[in-house]
Amino acid sequence: MSSPFPILRLPRLVQCEIFKLLNIEEKIKLSFCSKKIFTQIHNYRLYSQKVIVDLDCFKQEIEIQSENNQDLFKVGIHPDSRISHSSTIQQISIASCTVRAEYLQIGMKTFWNNCLEGFLSIIHHLLKIFQCKMSTSLICYRSDLFQPTISMLFDLQLEFKGLYIRLEGSRDKNLWWNKISNNLGLVEYLSISSSLDRAFIPVFISWPQKIRILDSDWFTLETLLSCTCSKIMLEESLLENKDFDVVLRKWKTGGFPNLKLLWLDSPNITDNGEQILGMNLNELDRKVIQNADGSKTATIDLGKHWIEMSVTSSE
Amino acid sequence: MTSPASSSEVKYLIESSEGNTFDVSGAALRQSNTFNAMFLNIGADGPIPFTDYNEATLKKVFEYCEHSVNEENYSGPKHQDDLSKWDLNFFNEMDQKMFIDVINASNFLDIERLTSYCCERIARMLRGKNTQEMIKVITLPTAEELEAKQKVEEKKAAAAKKVAEKAAETAEKTETLEELPVQQLVQTTRNKLTRKYLSFSNE
Repeated sequence: MSSPFPILRLPRLVQCEIFKLLNIEEKIKLSFCSKKIFTQIHNYRLYSQKVIVDLDCFKQEIEIQSENNQDLFKVGIHPDSRISHSSTIQQISIASCTVRAEYLQIGMKTFWNNCLEGFLSIIHHLLKIFQCKMSTSLICYRSDLFQPTISMLFDLQLEFKGLYIRLEGSRDKNLWWNKISNNLGLVEYLSISSSLDRAFIPVFISWPQKIRILDSDWFTLETLLSCTCSKIMLEESLLENKDFDVVLRKWKTGGFPNLKLLWLDSPNITDNGEQILGMNLNELDRKVIQNADGSKTATIDLGKHWIEMSVTSSE
Repeated sequence: MTSPASSSEVKYLIESSEGNTFDVSGAALRQSNTFNAMFLNIGADGPIPFTDYNEATLKKVFEYCEHSVNEENYSGPKHQDDLSKWDLNFFNEMDQKMFIDVINASNFLDIERLTSYCCERIARMLRGKNTQEMIKVITLPTAEELEAKQKVEEKKAAAAKKVAEKAAETAEKTETLEELPVQQLVQTTRNKLTRKYLSFSNE
């Protein structure tokens, strides 16, 4: 069968089955073949594999991987000026743009006049061919691409598996935080790394499923009491024994219904005589406490200036 | 009328687009979900009309079904490398047209195993290729491209014919001077012309 194979003339179900058999790399490469092929792949997107799209705005690279991490493809976004005169450069069509590209062993390089446009175009393209969950890498926030990219993804109401942000140094901090805070319901795991000036205290309008805050001195007891996350990790906090006492009492009476883990690291968690649930701090170590209706138990672990509460259901 | 329990022993008559009929065993036919949904419980009085497909295609499809009657129940797509020698021969002996007809018929008859193997075979055509190579595998030339290609071929053939005629004239003149017997001269020129024309046409 050496003559071209009319894949688009096959019954739709058959096309769908063929697309389902392709791995991430094959599907991406096929989607660049023509607008018609791309449209067909897009039509069957809901039957496609689910992928995690990891955005590295700093390295200007997008990594697409299967949920089981066994299938991986990387797309690099480079300025036109860095194009090599290699014979392996080919022209492909992405989001109505004709772009030069070069395939590598487990990925490809694409060359753009405008890297932000390239970054967003590739993301748009991927969103149309896969079921995507987004993720950002740790140092992503340093890039100029970060804010416009994340804003666009929030506007599209896309889910994030992981989002790493740093607020200091970001443009229009208030506006930016509002955008993030309004959309945290879409985020599975949020990591915030920030030392903030007192003039700016972020207010959470929604919550992610899990949160980790490095330099969390701005995260007050009041904020913690309103937190609905299942996993809360606060590092460099200023919370004290009495604050943890309030947290435990609230939990015992049915507060923090989603909580599975609370990890609090603070220099103010000390054995200074301030009691928690009527006990000195060191008496609390390895203590198992139960909530009021007996449906959950929490185990307390202590370390030097940290305290961990892990919750299990009694049933 | 046929009951589901005895359908493996019973032969059904299948009617193709040409109006021809042929036998297929109940066991083979039961691999078609379309058949199961339409006829298995109610039976069929006359030939079952699958008249959108020609006899050759239907026979090929049911050849596959007859062969896989005794295989274990289908449990999802199988990798091409796991196909048996018989399966590979079955696919390899089909030209592209027949292969496409078989996919279409298998899809209509909803024969999961056969459809799935066909899809895997197509997916395999794309494996390990970059975009440009994939385009070559799947893109059919448009009508304009075909027309342009035909025009180029016609021009080539006309040019070749002209060159051949000119060469024949020259040869005729040259060989006349050599005082060959007339019969031999004509034959030699004819042979040369034929060879030249053929070589041009084949380019």
